[in-house]
Amino acid sequence: MNKENINPDQGSAEASDARLGALLRESRVAPTLPPRFQEGVWRRIEEAAAPAKSNGGIAWLDALAALVLRPRLALATAAVLIVAGALLGVRDGNQMAHQDAQARYLAVVAPNSLR
Amino acid sequence: MNRSLVILLSALVLGFALFGGSYFAGQRACRMTRSADDLSWLCDEFHLGDAEMARIQKLHEGYLPKCAEMCAKIAAKKSELETALNGSTNVNLVAQQKLTELAALRAQCQAQMLRHFTEVSQTMPPEQGRRYLAEMQRLTLGFHEQTESSMSGSAGHEHHH
Repeated sequence: MNKENINPDQGSAEASDARLGALLRESRVAPTLPPRFQEGVWRRIEEAAAPAKSNGGIAWLDALAALVLRPRLALATAAVLIVAGALLGVRDGNQMAHQDAQARYLAVVAPNSLR
Repeated sequence: MNRSLVILLSALVLGFALFGGSYFAGQRACRMTRSADDLSWLCDEFHLGDAEMARIQKLHEGYLPKCAEMCAKIAAKKSELETALNGSTNVNLVAQQKLTELAALRAQCQAQMLRHFTEVSQTMPPEQGRRYLAEMQRLTLGFHEQTESSMSGSAGHEHHH
């Protein structure tokens, strides 16, 4: 270290800062890398990239789930399902009630032993 | 399990439950609101008015005791036939006679039933009456015709006398 060069009494403050900066750069210790550092870095990069790749495969699933969770769409879908189900049920119920009534009439006027 | 998958499956199950629930509720409500009257089918199917229904109701009430009487006779004859066949390995003379009597009773009952259908059809407007008579003949006599035609018309089935 060149301690003798550090003198606050000499030159302007800018020159002093420049010198200080140079000194700091010189004093920077270059740490030795741990063994297999580069390999570890690549492994971590690959690990970080791997989930992103697999998420890409089910991105549409997430998008669909987000769509399903929209309150307005969910309510509209539920309403459509209820109305469609009830209408179909009433239609089929009418047909079944008609068939029941026919079977009831036949059972009374023409017992099974005659048919 | 993936969260999105759980959400979608839950939504699907909920959707099915909503659709199924409302379907069965609608069906049940419709069936329960319909009249349980024996003659309600006639009224709906043949678009009959109150006056026609009143006449049919009267005919119907007159026919029911006769029908019940014939049914009791048929049931008694069937019981006699079963007794005649009981323990027998072939159709003996008594059983054959009971079969003939049972067939005669059934024919008598069917004739009475057809007469009733004719009377009912005559209380309806002509077109509806014809349709009613054809429908009742199809429903009550058609079963035997189907069986007979399927027996005689089946491929490879030949009678050797």
